[in-house]
This record gives sequence, C-alpha cells and structure tokens, in this order.
Amino acid sequence: MTIKLVNTALRNISRNKRRSILSGVAIGVAAMAIVMMFSLIAGMQADMESNLKSYYTGGIRIRNENYEKYERFNPVHLTVEANTIEKILDTIEEVDTYVPRTSFPSNLYIEGTNFGAMGVGADFEKEANFIDLAGSLKKGRLPEKGKNEMIMGAILARDLKLKIGDKVTVMSTTAARGTNAITLKIVGLFAFPVGALNAKYFWAPIDRISYFLRMNDATQEVILKVKEDGTETATAIKIKEILKKETSVNYDVRAFTDISGTYEMIEMANTAYMIMAFIFFLLGSTVIINTTMMVIFERMREIGTLGALGMHGKELVRLFFLEGMFISIIGTFIGVLAGIGFTILLGKTGIDMTEAMQGMDFEISGMVYPKLSIGKTVFVFFYSVIIASLATLLPSRKASKIQPVEALRYV
Amino acid sequence: MKNKTITILILLSLFIPVTAFSITGEEIIRRADDMQVFETSEASGEFQIKDRFGVKVSTFNSWSRGTNESLIEFTSRAERGQKVLRTEDELYLFYPDAEELIRMQGSMLRQSMLGSDISYEDMTGGKDRISQYDVILEGEESFKGKDCYVLVMTAKVRTVPYPKEKLWIDKETFLVWKAEYYTKSDRLLKEMETLDTQIINGRTIAVETRIVDKMKTDTETIMFLSDIKINIPIHNSMFSLEELSW
Amino acid sequence: MKFLISLAFKNLTRYKRRTLITAGAIAFGLMMYIFVDSLLLGIEIESVRNLKWFETASARILNDDYWENRFQRPLDINIADPDSIMSKLDDNGISSTKRVEFSGDLILNSTDFGEDGNMSVLVTAVDTERDFDVFKFDTTLQEGRFLEADDDAVILGSWLAEDIGAELGYWITIVTRGNGGFYEAMDLEIVGIVNCPNPNVNRTLIMMPIDVADEYLAMEGAATEISIKLPESADIDAEVIRIQGLLNGDGLTVMSWKSMAADYLAIAEAKRGGTGMILFLIFLIAAVGISNTMLMAIFERIRELGMMRSLGMSDKKIRIAFMIEAAGIGLIGSIMGVFLGLIVNFFVVKYGINYGDMYRDMDIGYRVQAIIRGAWNFKTMGIAFFAGIFISTLVAFFPTKRALKMDIPSCLRHQ
Repeated sequence: MTIKLVNTALRNISRNKRRSILSGVAIGVAAMAIVMMFSLIAGMQADMESNLKSYYTGGIRIRNENYEKYERFNPVHLTVEANTIEKILDTIEEVDTYVPRTSFPSNLYIEGTNFGAMGVGADFEKEANFIDLAGSLKKGRLPEKGKNEMIMGAILARDLKLKIGDKVTVMSTTAARGTNAITLKIVGLFAFPVGALNAKYFWAPIDRISYFLRMNDATQEVILKVKEDGTETATAIKIKEILKKETSVNYDVRAFTDISGTYEMIEMANTAYMIMAFIFFLLGSTVIINTTMMVIFERMREIGTLGALGMHGKELVRLFFLEGMFISIIGTFIGVLAGIGFTILLGKTGIDMTEAMQGMDFEISGMVYPKLSIGKTVFVFFYSVIIASLATLLPSRKASKIQPVEALRYV
Repeated sequence: MKNKTITILILLSLFIPVTAFSITGEEIIRRADDMQVFETSEASGEFQIKDRFGVKVSTFNSWSRGTNESLIEFTSRAERGQKVLRTEDELYLFYPDAEELIRMQGSMLRQSMLGSDISYEDMTGGKDRISQYDVILEGEESFKGKDCYVLVMTAKVRTVPYPKEKLWIDKETFLVWKAEYYTKSDRLLKEMETLDTQIINGRTIAVETRIVDKMKTDTETIMFLSDIKINIPIHNSMFSLEELSW
Repeated sequence: MKFLISLAFKNLTRYKRRTLITAGAIAFGLMMYIFVDSLLLGIEIESVRNLKWFETASARILNDDYWENRFQRPLDINIADPDSIMSKLDDNGISSTKRVEFSGDLILNSTDFGEDGNMSVLVTAVDTERDFDVFKFDTTLQEGRFLEADDDAVILGSWLAEDIGAELGYWITIVTRGNGGFYEAMDLEIVGIVNCPNPNVNRTLIMMPIDVADEYLAMEGAATEISIKLPESADIDAEVIRIQGLLNGDGLTVMSWKSMAADYLAIAEAKRGGTGMILFLIFLIAAVGISNTMLMAIFERIRELGMMRSLGMSDKKIRIAFMIEAAGIGLIGSIMGVFLGLIVNFFVVKYGINYGDMYRDMDIGYRVQAIIRGAWNFKTMGIAFFAGIFISTLVAFFPTKRALKMDIPSCLRHQ
C-alpha cells in the first residue's frame, strides 16, 4: 500500500465532502446507538447487582454454618455473633461497609386475623452507610434504637390499611423455638427501588428484634460490601479463614454470586441483554454496510475513469478500502463521542424503566442509570471501523471488475 | 357442675366425654370423664418439646375452674410472662411485649402451642360432644399390664378436628392410658399416652403424658404435672381478661 | 402528471440495483423496527398473559364473602352448585371451569425424598376435563402426564419439584382441614411436572383432580371459584357485568382479572419510558439509514437533473418527478419491510425466542422456560409502512431543492 494511495484516498474524501459526511454520519449514528444500548444494558446490570447487594445478600454474606441446611424450617436459633464478626471485619482492608441483619417470617395480628409478612431487624445507623435509607423513606422517620418502632413497606401498609402512628402486633417463632409477640409502632413508610420489598416487608431496630426473638444479641447474618467490585469471591475466602482463626467458628461466608438464586438471576438477565444488544448490532451493522456499499455504487463513473487511467483491480479495491476505513474512523469516533456524551447525561437523570420491566422477575428497579463501559465502547469503535472497511470490499471488487468503458457509461 | 383440672383440659379435650345414657361405650367415656373432674385446681408443670433441633423445656403454673376456665402462665425464661387464657368460648394469648391481647379464633387455633405437638385447638375442646361422636365399645385389651376397654369413636359431624379416635381406658380406674387420633381413612394423626399417674382424692390422674404429632417428623411433647392442689379457693377475677394483662 | 409518473417508474426499473439497495435499506430498517416493537410489546403482554393463562383467568366467579377472606382460603365460603352455573355459561358461549383452592401442609416422606420435610403449601384442585378450556397448562407439560378424573395424583410446578427434590412416581402427603374443620391426610402420587412460564405458579403449583379433593374435603360438589376465559378482544368490564347479570344475585360476585391482579402485580399505567427509548433508538437508526441512502441516490443524479432542466422541464415538474420516484422507492421498501416484518412477527409470535436453550448446558438450579414472544401490533406496522414512504419522500425534497437552486451548468458538471 503506497503513500500515494493513502493520499488519494484522503483527497477523495475531502473533495467529495457531501458524500463523505453522509456516509460518515450514518456510520456515526449507528455507532452511537450501539454505544448507548450497551450503556443502558450495563446500567441495568449494575442496578440489579446493586439491589442484590444492598437488600438481599450483600456483596458477601456471613451466616451460621448450618443455616442453609435447615433454611426451610426457619431456624431462628442458628445465629452469628455479629459484634465479634464486625470487630474482625474492621481489620480487613478489602471490606468497605457492613451491616448486621435478621430476617424472619412473622404474622401481623390485625383486628383478629393474621397476615403474613417478613420482618427485618436492622441497625439503622449502620444502614445509612450501606443503602440509601434516607432516599427510600417516603414518609415519617426512622425508628430509634431501643424503641418498639418499625418502618413498613408502603405497599404493605396500603394493603393492610395501616398508616403512620398505627401500632401492629407482630408474632413470630423465636430462637428458643417458642413463640413471642411484640407491638411495634409504625413511624415511617419506605419505598425501596425493588417493588417486592415494599409489599411484604417491615424493618425494625435490630436490638429490639434480637430481644423479641430471644437471640441474646446475636443476629442472623452480617452482610458486607467490598471496596472493589469483582473481588467478592476471593475476599469471602479470606474472611472465612480469618474468622475461623480468630473465633474457632466455621462460618458460612459466601460471595453473592455463590448464593443460589442470585447467580442464576444474573445469568438470565445477561442472556436477555445479549439478545437486545445483538439486535442493535445487527441493525447498526446493516446501516453501515448499506451506506458503504451505496457509496461505491454511486461512483461507478469514477471507477471507470480511474480504470481508464490505469488503476485496476487490487489497487482500486485498496483505495476504496482506505476511504471506507478513514470515513468510518472519523464517523465512528464522533458517533462514539456522542454516545458517550448522551450516556453521561442520561446517567445523571436516569431512565424510567418501570414499564419495560413489568413482566420480569429481575429485581431491577424502576429507574436505570446508563453506565459507560470503556471496554465495550472501544470494542464498538473497532468493530464499526472494521465492518465499514470490510463492507467496501464486496462492491468495490465487483466494481473493479467492470470494464472502464462500461463503467463510464454507468451514469 | 363439672370440674376439671388443667390435665383434663388438655387431655380430655382430645377425647371428649360423651354424656349420653344408653350404650356401654358411652357410659365408659362418661365415667372416665368424671374421674378427672375437680371443682378448682392448681398445678405446676413443664412441657418437654422435642423436634429436629433438640429438646426444649418450658415450665408453667396453671389454674382451672369449672368446665371451661383455665389459665396457664409460663415461668421458663424464654416464655416468661406469657399467658394462655381459656374461657367459655374463647382462647386468648398474652405476651408481655405486646400491647394487646391476641384472640385465637378460627384457623389460628390450628397452630401449635409453643411449637409443640399440641395445638390451641386441642386445648379448646371439652365442650358438649354428645352429638358429635358415635361411641362403640370394641373390646378389651391389656395395655402396660392393665386391663383396658378399647373404644372407637367416630365423628358424626365435620366440624371436629379428629374424625376418628381410639381409646384405651383402664377398666378399674377409668384412666385413659392411650388415645389415637385418625382421619376418616384411618391415617394416624396424633397419639397420646399416659406415662405416669398419681392418686389424688381417690382418683387416678395422669401426671406424665406424651403426645406425638404423627404428621411431623421425629417430634414429641411430654407434659409433666406436679404440686397438684385440688379444690382450693381461686379468685373470681383470675379468669378474666383484665387479669390477663397483668 | 401521467408522464411524470411513468418517468419515475422508468427510472426505478432502469436503475434496479440502486432502487433495490435503497429499498432494501428501507425494508430492513422497517423490519427491525417492527420486530423490536413486537418483542417489547410481547414482553409487556407476557406478564399479563402469564397472569391470565395460569393464575387469574380472564375473570372469576366467587362467593360474595370469599375475596376479603381469601388469605385464609376458607372452604366453607364457596359456590354451592358450580355445575349449574357452568352449564348456564356454556349456553352463553362462555368457557369456564371450577376449582377448589385450599392450603395445607406438604409432607415429604424419607423413602422417596431422602429427608423428611414439612412445608406450607397451596393446593389447586381442578376439573380435569374443563381446566384446559380456561387455563393454558396444556402446553407446559415437562414430564409425565396430566391428571385424570379419580386420580390420587398431583402435578407439580417444576421449580417446586426441584426445590423439594421431587420426581415422577414419588408419593407426597398433604395434610389439611376439610370443609368443616376436620383433619384429612391425602396420599398422592406425583404423575406430572409442568414448566410454567409464570414463575409464581412454577414455584408453588400443586394440582390435583377436583373429584378426589371433593371426596377428601367433603365439599359435596361445591367449588371455591369458577374461572372464566374470555377472548382476547373482549371488553372485560362489559363481560363481567353481563355475566353478573346471568347470575342474578345468588350471593356470587364476578371479578375481572384486573381487580384480582392488583394483588399479584402492581400494574402501572402504561408509561412506556424505557421501551420508548429503545424504540426511539431503533427508529433513529432506521431513519438515518433510509435518509442516507435516499440522499445519496438523489445526489448521484444531479447531473441527470441538470440535463432535465436543460431540456426545458420546469422546476416544479422535476421536483415532483423526483419525489414520486423517491416515494416509489419508499413504497417498495415499505412493502418489503412490512412483508418481512409480518413474516418475522409470525415466527416470533408463534414460537418466540427461546433463550432458555442458550444456557441449558450451564448447571443452573432453575431451568427456566425463557421464551420471549412477540405480539401483533398492526398500528406499528401501519406507522412503519407510512414512515418508510414519508421519510423517503421528505428526504428527497432537500437535495432536489438544492439542485434546483444551482445553475444548470453546475448541475451538469456535478460529481
């Protein structure tokens, strides 16, 4: 490939600005759309992960070793010593934040009938660092430590016809395998991003729940987040070993991806996203290919002229290849930049996905914030350039085979 | 006026005396019933509840008066202050940390008390069951070295929990040594057996009883009674709701 | 005018390749738009469909007092003579089936299951002959067979079966209370496992024949509900009123799936936020593709346009000629696009995209029947059709105008 060819290609591009801009824009728009789609998907994935980590399993979950085996029987008595564990977690640098939690099924005794609901005992001070508690509290305030108070999911409260100020008697099985009941006053209503939580859950101070369930200051689990995403599995192993060494107790310490149910959900979601991305890709690629091909066909006369001047076959193909490549580089570059720009913009305001997510059981919140993935963006860039360049080959090969005379007639 | 101890409340509600005057079977039941009846009573006791996780012990004090009134107050640490009150028509639970009384009714009664093999429903029986069961004296059998009548009771209505019951009643003392509770199609649901007795005021009373819920795996509940006092004076208000809240 | 049209037509056929490529771009763009819209709509509809096919049916007849007590699943608040009501509905051409729902404890025995267990469950007793008229379980059988009358048998949802480690041929015991309160224990054999796209149902379904349940529970022919299926296009609310009229009192209420569904899903008003975004992006790409191709096609022919001008054709006539041609290309593209869209739509509606297959090899606990189905949306196809023509024509307007502004020699020299 000679320098002359490159110069010729560049000259052709700048000389026929209209045509170059047209095809460049088409390629750019396709690239931009793909970048944005990927960002949207990344946003949804991040969102789901975030929800899992905040409200369900944490990044890493520490539980009693036997809990899972008997999980079906609601083994309230299989606890962990949260205080001890938390002190040890403070010394491990990979750990970012942690909270103790106790989840328990219960019956709410309202006007003579029982209604099932799930209760969560939580340390609200620590939770403020762990989840967006303040943002999720729709009405009222958080319960105070040591008080018989609770916050209730907004939908649950609506279904049970309760409001702030109402008192509810909660009955449950205790760690002593007996039963107990306690009356808690509703002081706030919450709306977490995951709808299911708001329809079935209430949260109360963990010290009161521990007392109520006769857990002697122990809790059901400690969940934590790590500083670096992706290091959960390794850190979980480390934590387990350290805990074993320091306390001689074998805890069940697991990364969220190892907890059955969550991993499958993530995989299912990923597959769905792959399909969406593929569709976009297909469409985008077609536009790129189509545009590039049109450009070639449009220039039949030019091809004829060049042929008459002695440029044939391979050189011709190479010339068009270079032109295609340069145009697509510029077009894709701008398109990708535009995609990045929009993504950052939308990343701040978010997109309301409540409708689209209706039928799916994916624990995705209503609002999704597109997230930029550098790797994917770079991938889109190269892919578009390659596709556009390759797309020149077929038509230009065809065109180069036509006799100059014929091509000149191709007006 | 019929009087019963707390024992009867729990146990006999499982095998209700049918007071009709005709056939031998019913006569036996009647006498068994009479044997266990006192004006007022007071006792201490404990439940040993065994399940897949081990054995749990809950201690209590109990009082009763009349056919229908009884009060249990738990004294073990895990249940301290919890009370169960039974009156003519109802069952109430008191929990120290709850600000209201919990009235158990309808399907809530089917729950088991303290996770044991005894349900609240089992505790609310003892009402007039004449119209509810057909009693047949099947024969005689020796059980634990005692000669017993073997009776089979078949429910006439659909509203009783156990469609069929089989009882082994001591021919001499009219103590119920064993009872089995079945579904219509003879599926064994629960089993009760008297393990130890005591003679009070000339009557034989069960002081150690085992109940097993056959629908659960590997569970059993043993109830012990001690310090039984009969016909002692009891406050009128003991079985009232107000009293329950204290 | 006729001349212009025939001119346009001749141009179209003379430059077949150009016409086809352009039309092809339009067609493909439109097809994708129709396809994606179909999928997105399909997903939206799926959740409703899952509900209607497997949980609520289109509507339900209940005893007046049942709904507010539904959490307790009372057997005594029932429909005493469901058969006569169903035959009345039959006479009016409405499909219906009776069911008895009750709660109980599922007891697993160790011989089959390896470990003893005890869990709270909800059992649905179905009319083995009529249930398929209303509910769509007939397509979900994964293993074994369906229920027949008089079977002491159950069918389980596949997630439930996996949860408890159940297999065909295992026996389970359901302990419950019959109508009145008496204890009953039913020994039932697992004869079938269904894989239901509704995850709620798949997680909890235990189905048994209604005649067997009737005997065990002493229902005496009564049912706790009569489920009704109405055609997709029916006005649900009007039908509910009509059926209520047929019942004339009798202590029975008819509820539409919407009023029952508030319990299952919080179905928000259709806002189409995220879906709108996706569709917009697709539309954008398609529109750009179309415009782009059109523009190039026009610019390519400026010389020709110059020639026409120099031959004396009026600006207006030239403009019209080009626009007609553009519209023609758009029409061809739209026809192709909608046609392809119809075909693709047909497949995606009938068979759906099964992405469960994609990770069948992965060792996942839940084997999900993950099928995205499309939906027919003729409105979208109509929009796509006209959009194709409109955009093409519109886009042709600008370069034509520009060319007409140039002086004729420049046109002729245009490259």
